[in-house]
Amino acid sequence: MAAVAKKKGGFLDFFKNLFKRKERVSADAGERNNWKAWLYLAPVIILLSVFTFYPLINTVVIAFLKDYDYTTQVSSGFTFDNFLTVLTLAGKDASQNLVYKWNCTYDAALGSWVYNNGTELVKVYFQTDVLKYALPNTMIITFVTVPLSIIIALLISVCLHSIKAFQKIFQTIFFVPYVTNAVAVGMVFAVLFDSQGILNYIFGLGTYYWIDQTATHTSAMFALCVYIIWHALPYKILIFLSALQNIDKQYYDAAKIDCAGKFKTFMNVTVPMLSPQILYIMITSFIGSFKEYTSVVGLIGSAGTGGTNNMYTIVYYVYDCLKAPTTVSRGAAAALMLFVIIMIFTAIQFQVSKRRVHY
Amino acid sequence: MEYDSRNFIQKLFKMKSREEKQAEREASPEYQAIDTSSMTLVIKEGRANAAQLAKAQKVGRVISSIITYSFLLFMSVIILFPFYWMIITSLKNTTEIRASVQTFFPATVLWSNYITVFNTFDFVTYVGNTLLVGIISTIGTLITTILAAFAFARLNFKGKDLIFAILLATMMIPGEMMVITNYITVAKLPWYEFGVGLVNGWLGYTDTIFAAMIIPFWVSVFYIYLLRQNFKQIPNELYLAAKVDGKSDWQFLWHVMVPLALPTLISIFILKLMGSWNSYVWPQLVTAGHDSLRLVTNGLRSSFSTTSGEPQYGIQMAATILVTVPLLLLFIFFRKYIMKGVGRAGIKG
Amino acid sequence: MEIRLKNLTKCFPGNPKKGIPDTYAVNALDITIPDAKLVGLLGPSGCGKSTTLYMVAGLLEPSEGEIWFGDEDVTDLEPEKRGIGLVFQNYALYPHMTVYKNVAFPLTNLRIEEAVKDKDGNPVMDETGKPYIKKRKLTKDEIDKIVRETAKIVQIEQYLERKPNQLSGGQQQRVAIARALVKKPRVLLLDEPLSNLDARLRLQTREEIRRIQQSTGITTIFVTHDQEEAMSISDEIVVMKLGVEQQRGVPQEVYNNPCNKFVANFLGTPPINLFKGRIEGNKVYIGNEVVREITEKDVPDQECTVGIRPEGIIVDPNGSFTFECDRILTMGRDIMLVAEHPEATTNTKFIVDAFVEVSTGTVKCSVKPHKCFAFSLEGDELRII
Repeated sequence: MAAVAKKKGGFLDFFKNLFKRKERVSADAGERNNWKAWLYLAPVIILLSVFTFYPLINTVVIAFLKDYDYTTQVSSGFTFDNFLTVLTLAGKDASQNLVYKWNCTYDAALGSWVYNNGTELVKVYFQTDVLKYALPNTMIITFVTVPLSIIIALLISVCLHSIKAFQKIFQTIFFVPYVTNAVAVGMVFAVLFDSQGILNYIFGLGTYYWIDQTATHTSAMFALCVYIIWHALPYKILIFLSALQNIDKQYYDAAKIDCAGKFKTFMNVTVPMLSPQILYIMITSFIGSFKEYTSVVGLIGSAGTGGTNNMYTIVYYVYDCLKAPTTVSRGAAAALMLFVIIMIFTAIQFQVSKRRVHY
Repeated sequence: MEYDSRNFIQKLFKMKSREEKQAEREASPEYQAIDTSSMTLVIKEGRANAAQLAKAQKVGRVISSIITYSFLLFMSVIILFPFYWMIITSLKNTTEIRASVQTFFPATVLWSNYITVFNTFDFVTYVGNTLLVGIISTIGTLITTILAAFAFARLNFKGKDLIFAILLATMMIPGEMMVITNYITVAKLPWYEFGVGLVNGWLGYTDTIFAAMIIPFWVSVFYIYLLRQNFKQIPNELYLAAKVDGKSDWQFLWHVMVPLALPTLISIFILKLMGSWNSYVWPQLVTAGHDSLRLVTNGLRSSFSTTSGEPQYGIQMAATILVTVPLLLLFIFFRKYIMKGVGRAGIKG
Repeated sequence: MEIRLKNLTKCFPGNPKKGIPDTYAVNALDITIPDAKLVGLLGPSGCGKSTTLYMVAGLLEPSEGEIWFGDEDVTDLEPEKRGIGLVFQNYALYPHMTVYKNVAFPLTNLRIEEAVKDKDGNPVMDETGKPYIKKRKLTKDEIDKIVRETAKIVQIEQYLERKPNQLSGGQQQRVAIARALVKKPRVLLLDEPLSNLDARLRLQTREEIRRIQQSTGITTIFVTHDQEEAMSISDEIVVMKLGVEQQRGVPQEVYNNPCNKFVANFLGTPPINLFKGRIEGNKVYIGNEVVREITEKDVPDQECTVGIRPEGIIVDPNGSFTFECDRILTMGRDIMLVAEHPEATTNTKFIVDAFVEVSTGTVKCSVKPHKCFAFSLEGDELRII
């Protein structure tokens, strides 16, 4: 990822470069090392082929298989049904037949979608968890926690950078959450957000249910975002602080001479100078928050409050799909869609940042 | 390209070019009325004398440092509070934890939570499993990383850049894509059956599960990248000198490069170990149904999440502390390596 | 704006535990820089001239002493409140801003002061009878006009939309000057502004700096290690060595009357020729030759260092001074002879007009008395005559 962020030409050029064969003619070692070099690389290439490249291709294939069952390895051809199911465009009737949404009508009296199979109207059940919960939750998590944590981390690191006394101590304190276990600290936050917990006590909220089984979706999301931001800060602070320490002090001197106030210096010198790191952090944390899962497990302990799956994230859904042999291809479809979403977002960020990032 | 497209858009919407806008601006009477020579430019504070400014500046400095320090202090409290609360909750009894008046220090310090944890939560087994998995996978990673980083940093071969780019590109792929197939692969191994643990081959199911938790993690593209950068900083003259001395690449790698890159290797070792300690998803999948093979994190979540009725927070927190403390100890002793290793990633892209 | 430095000292504390002593970058400097003058701070690298400049700018805090701008003590003021313009050695242009934005940036931080006028256009007075003054931000048009006018002065109008890294060193330097000038500073400080330029550009730019300074009338301090640069454009130069002022004055005056061996040696290209010599009976001797008779005052007999400017040695068949000439360097207008002399501490160089015919081998010379100095061997090697 790091190198990707560095490439000047942006996302598309990166991929152009990727497939551009650069052959370096070197005076020293040269071609003699050829087969030896491959020996050095052999372990990595073998491991990656078995555990990365093959699974990647296989997962894509599985996503398109019809009625795939991994215990028997049997499927009945290729189809888009898995994607349609994930996207609520295909559902199943009581006898497990797949029915497409465009063949159904909504029956208000029955309160469900129905399908006329020629003889009678049958109820159709759609798998709504992804569109209803997982996707919105993932988006909320991403667009709330990423910007907020970047802004807070920037503020903290600028403050840290500006002080002399106690800098080391503060720096260490702010790094501590990095070395903790996401699940373990999630459980601590569950105690903090408990209906009879300390946060309700401090803010005088009585027995407000944040994350318990009776909690609303909003309050559980709020608690989750607070926890994710808390856990995301240390890495960002560390990166920003070391980047700040690398900025040529002369630009700050110049800003002083130019009578710029503190805020103006921050906006006009610090932020542009940090822009490569901000881009790097943005891309990595976007990817990270699209894959949020363990924080939900730690904090909530299950897929949602009130017996629903309302705290689903896309990855949570993918892992839930692994529980049954027949739902795996649906999980593969969801994972593939997640991959595409991540690619699109990364590409957008590269394009948008092209003119704003100064290397 | 950029300029062309702008021109096109300008023509399309009949927008004015920069030059035209400027000419228009300069032609306006208001613009021409501006007399720059008679302007009195002053700093934000206006025209005060030096003594007043110095005083204001001193006050400003004090205020800004008060604000800075109180902000940092406030944030540190937020950062540290969960840890404090974890500790004191683990020492409280359930009634006190859920009392309507919260106490910031346990009324009676209760160690029994820890005893309960050791009785119900098989901490020692889990830690043993985790250490086994962590250390073997870390050592494997170090070996593959050193070899690959050396090849990328020092050797020349056809397609080097291409392979390196492909490796870096894999970091963008969400791991879930791989997990699905890997899970199926493990699940359909002939001698293995989830939840049953059928032993029907040269490996017992315990070995299989451990192998499944270790081998896929023997390679880390990110650390290869990190170490390659480090190797690249070692001057080429050393390599050439070693060649002149008749040392082989292999000797050079282990006698010169590895000792020189030791700090980075230590960072990688510790970070990777911490990663194993914290890994949750994959072990959770492959150890399903085999509680005795679980790693700490899985054990932690599953042991206490199913408690019916009043959650046993005191016991949960005691277990959480047991999981967190080793990490914190590692952090205290290797702070420099950890922070350097993590920080190095972001610098220089 | 007159600048006065009083007992200005900058001491970087050492570490007594490790036996590192305190280092004085600048030691008890007392200088007054007259209003609207261009003053060159001159000295070899490490003499504290840049430190002095940064203390005047406020970027370094003096350990001791005071800095006065006119009748204001600005010692404790932060740089942004001093109203100065500073051109950094590497220019420190903001790499992410266009030239226009670089130059406009200081203006966006400043305010404009205006007398408040009533409906009829008469200034409003406050209780004490002074006009009531209000300050406001500059409008975009005002900024634009000032930026363009300043750009015209330093001739960078055509580069306004470029980024600094698309400019040559000389252009960047002019942008840096524009950025410093745009806010009409009370004081302009230049830190080795020409060191990154090639020889031709250097010549051109230093004339430009002179022109700009004279047209704006801003008190300017100019730091350089290049004595030619300093002497050619300064109204006054201050020669420094190891944080201590050696001599100050009009460049030609300092050149003609150096106060000690260091100043004499530092000023002038090619450098002054130094010989072992002595003073006896009010006459300066090199070996057995009298090079100068002292008529101004009585000087006790002593050993000394004799310095003769290269242009002070004249090829003269009747001269009493004999050199062995090794090489003849023709440098366009002048010819330089490189010669040896048994008492000389280095090769002796002297400059001959082009029409004098010279050849290698033994050369006879005479010495212009006012180009010949004698320096004490003790202490600061002060000039004896």
